[in-house]
Amino acid sequence: MVDWADGKTCRPVFPLEIHVAAPGMQSSESQHLLRTTQHALDDLNEFAAHHLRLKLTNDTSTAQQSDDSSEVSNNGEEGPDTALTVRLIAQDGLVVPKAELHADTTQLDVFYPPSQVPIPSSSNPPLSVFIAEELQQLYGEEKATVAHILSGEKSGLDSVNPQFAESISRRLRRSMKYADTYHLSFSLFTPGSEPSSWDIEAAVQEYLAPLLHAFAPISNFTVDTQVQLYATFSPMAPPPVYDEAEAAWTLKKEDLSAFVNAAEWPLNPSIGNGPTLNFILYVPAPSQAPMMVKENRAFSWIVPQWGGVFLLNPPLSPADKGSNPAHLSQEYLRPAFMTFSHQLLTLLGTPTTPASLPLRLQTLIRIRAATLLLSASSTMGSLARLTESLPSIPIPATVASSVSTTLSHLSATCSHLRSGRFNDALATARVAETEAERSFFEKSMVGQVYFPDEHKVAVYLPLLGPIGVPLFVGLMKELKRIIAGWKAQRRAAA
Amino acid sequence: MITLLRLIQSLSLLLLLIGTVTAEHTSNWAVLVSTSRFWFNYRHLANVLSLYRTVKRLGIPDSQIILMLPDDMACNPRNAFPGTVYSNADRAVDLYGDNIEVDYRGYEVTVENFIRLLTDRLDEDVPRSKRLGSDAGSNVLVYMTGHGGDQFLKFQDAEEIGAWDLAHAFGQMWEKKRYHELLFMIDTCQANTMYTHFYSPNIVATGSSELDQSSYSHHADNDVGVAVIDRWTYYVLEFLETQVTSANSKLNLGDLFDSYDESKIHSQPGVRWDLFPGGESEGRLRTVVDFFGNVQNVEVENANATEPGSLKEDLAEIARLVERWRKRDEEYSAILGNSSQHRRENEPSESVHLGSKMTEGPTRMAEDNSWGKRLVGLSVLGACTAIWVAGSILGRSA
Repeated sequence: MVDWADGKTCRPVFPLEIHVAAPGMQSSESQHLLRTTQHALDDLNEFAAHHLRLKLTNDTSTAQQSDDSSEVSNNGEEGPDTALTVRLIAQDGLVVPKAELHADTTQLDVFYPPSQVPIPSSSNPPLSVFIAEELQQLYGEEKATVAHILSGEKSGLDSVNPQFAESISRRLRRSMKYADTYHLSFSLFTPGSEPSSWDIEAAVQEYLAPLLHAFAPISNFTVDTQVQLYATFSPMAPPPVYDEAEAAWTLKKEDLSAFVNAAEWPLNPSIGNGPTLNFILYVPAPSQAPMMVKENRAFSWIVPQWGGVFLLNPPLSPADKGSNPAHLSQEYLRPAFMTFSHQLLTLLGTPTTPASLPLRLQTLIRIRAATLLLSASSTMGSLARLTESLPSIPIPATVASSVSTTLSHLSATCSHLRSGRFNDALATARVAETEAERSFFEKSMVGQVYFPDEHKVAVYLPLLGPIGVPLFVGLMKELKRIIAGWKAQRRAAA
Repeated sequence: MITLLRLIQSLSLLLLLIGTVTAEHTSNWAVLVSTSRFWFNYRHLANVLSLYRTVKRLGIPDSQIILMLPDDMACNPRNAFPGTVYSNADRAVDLYGDNIEVDYRGYEVTVENFIRLLTDRLDEDVPRSKRLGSDAGSNVLVYMTGHGGDQFLKFQDAEEIGAWDLAHAFGQMWEKKRYHELLFMIDTCQANTMYTHFYSPNIVATGSSELDQSSYSHHADNDVGVAVIDRWTYYVLEFLETQVTSANSKLNLGDLFDSYDESKIHSQPGVRWDLFPGGESEGRLRTVVDFFGNVQNVEVENANATEPGSLKEDLAEIARLVERWRKRDEEYSAILGNSSQHRRENEPSESVHLGSKMTEGPTRMAEDNSWGKRLVGLSVLGACTAIWVAGSILGRSA
C-alpha cells in the first residue's frame, strides 16, 4: 500500500496511438514518412511518460466512426484507443504544408504539396518535421497538465513557460474535485415577482443534454432547477452603480464575489452524494435593467469550484412602463445555457487547447485517470500509515476487502494506461477511487476515544485493586509457606 | 544513462521548488462547536452564534459552516426574550435572527459525532449539510467553547474529548488531505492544554487560558439573567467586528493575536505556531479572512476574447454539438415515430392497459386470520383471570 502511495509500483505512462492515413502515397513512401515523423516526435518529446505512437492505417473511415468519445471504447478490448487520426492529403499549389483540425471529430487533415513527399533516402524531411511539430503543439497542454499532476505542485516540464504553467495550475485549482456524480442546480433569481416561469426543461434538454451525454464516460450528472422570486442582494454587497456612458447598471469586478447572497439564497441543495455545481440565472429588476460587469461589459462569471452566474437582461415588455416578461421562453434562455455549458466545461477541468471537443474530452479522460490513480494510491498510503500510527483503531474485514479491490483495480488501471486504453483505465480508476474512499472512511473505524494509558490505569484500578489484593496476599502466603517448608526440609536433612 | 541523470536532476529541482512554493487555498470551511448544555451556559451558545454571524458576514456560506449547538437557548422557557439570543447587554443584535442553520443540535452534539465529522467517517445517508466537505485546498476554522480542564473539554455533562483525541482527529484529516491550513480556536478553562498534543502540520492554534487558569465570562445581562459572553471571545469578536469590516481586509493573524490584552481578558491566551511551516514569522502573515472569510477569485468571462478555450470558442463548439445532437435526435425520433405509429395501428389498446396498471395505490394490510388472533388473546386473558381467581380463593382458604 505504501509502495502505491510512493509511486514505486506504478509509473503511469500515456502512450497515445495516432493513426496516420496517407491515401495518396506509395506504401514505402508512407512508411518512411512515418518512421521519420516518429523519430522527429521522439526528439521533440521531453516528458517520457507521455508519448505519441504513430501507426499507419489506410482505413479512412475510423475517424467518422469515433466521433463520439463514448464509442471509442468499443474497440478498446484488444488494441489501444485511437487518439487521433491524421489524414495526409496531397494538394497542388501549396508551398508549405498546412494542417487543419476537424472541430467535431478526432481527425487532423494535413495538406501537403506533392513535391514534398519524402524520398526514401532523406533523413529529416520537412514534411515529417512539420507533422511532428503540429502533433507536439496539439498535445502540448495535455502533456504539461499531466506532468503537473504527476509531479505535484509545480509543472514538471522545464521548457513550459511560467505563464502557461500558471494558467494550467489555475485551471486545476478552479475545477471541481473529481466525483462520480455531480449535481447540477439551475436557479432563476429575480428581485421582483417576474419572470416567474421559464422553459427550463426544454432548455436543459436542448442545450445541456448533448454535453452531458458527451461526458458520460467521465461522470454522471443529476439536475435540479428552482425559481426564486424576491431575491435580494445581501446588505453587505455593494449595489450596482448606474453608468451614464454605458447606459447600464454596472457591477465592479472585485465586488462580484459578494454578488451571490450566500446567507439568504437557497443554494447548494443537499441532494445526492455528489458535489453540487450551482448555475445562477439572475434577471435584474426593471429599474436596474441592463446590468453588466463594469470592467469588460461581460454578463457572466465563474466562481471557482462553485458554479457560474449569468446576468440575463430580457427585453422589457412595453406595457405599464417596462416590467420583466412573466415567462422566459427557450429562445431567451439560449445565451444563458450556452454560457452555462461553457462554465460546466471549465469547472469540470476540461483543457482548452486542441480546438476540438472530442479531443478535449479524451484529454480530460486521461487527466482524470491520472488524478484518480494518484489520489487512490495516496489514500492507500494514508490508510497504511494510519493503521500503523493508531494501533487502537478497530479495522473491520470489509476494509480489507475494499483495500484488495482497490489494489487490484489500481494495477488494472496501470496496465490499461500502459497499453493505451484510457477509457478502460478511467473506468477501473473510478472503481479504485470509490473503494479507496470507502475503506478510509469506513464508519466503524472510529475508536470513539483513544484513551491515554494513565486513563486506562485510572479506570481499571478500582476494578483490579479489590481482586488483585487477595490474590497478591494469597500468593505471598503461599510463597512463605513454600519457603518455610523448604527450610524445614533442609533442616531435617541436615 | 543520460536520461536517468536528467531525471534525477529534474527531480531534485522539483523538490527544491516544492519547498518554496506555497499554494493558495481554494475554499473555506468553519466548524463552530459549543459543548455545553443548560441555561446557565447561555454564554457558550452566544459565543458560537456570534462567531457564526461573523464568518457568515465575511462570506462563508451556510453550506460550508458546521454549527453544533447542544441546547436551544432561544426557546428555553427561562429566556425573557423568547426566540432570541444576545451576546451583549445592549441587545443590539439578535444572533438567532431568522436565518441560521444549526447542523448538529441537542443530543447530536457528542464527542463521537464531532470526531466522525472531522474524519468524515459517517454513514452514507448522512446529508451533505452535516458533513465537512473540505479538501486539500480548504482552509478550516475550528472554534470550540465549553467547560474544560487539563487536556480535556467536556461535552454535554456526559463525556469529554481529550487533547489526544483531537490531535488524532486532525492527524487523520491531514493524512486524508482534508485541510490546507487549519486555525484552531478554543475558549474554555485551561484551554491552551487542548492543543499541546497536535502533531499534524499547517495548524495554527490559539486558546484563551493557560494551564490552571480559568476563562472568565465578560459580563451578564441582568434581564436575561446570566452571563452572555466569555471574555476572550468577546475581545476576539471586538477585533473582528471593528477592524475586519470587509471581506477584502488585509489584517493578518499577527494583528489578531497582538490585540489580546491580558488585563482585559483576565487570563493568558496562548498561540501555537510551531506546526506551521515557517513558524511564527510566516504564520503571522496569513490574513484573518484567509480563515474567517471565503475566497472567491471570480473569473469574469471576456465575451470578446478569441483564444482557444475562451467563451466564444466554446460556445461555437457547444453549438455544433447541440446541432449534431438535434439532428441525431430527429433521426431517432423519426425512427421511433415510425415504429410507434406502426404499433398504434396494430394494437391500440396496449397503452390504455399500461395506464391502468401504473395507478396502483397502496393496498390494505391483509387481515387473514384476525379472528384466530382474537380468540387466542381471549383465551390467554381468560386463563390469567382463572389463575387469579383460583389464587385468591386458595389464599383466603389458607
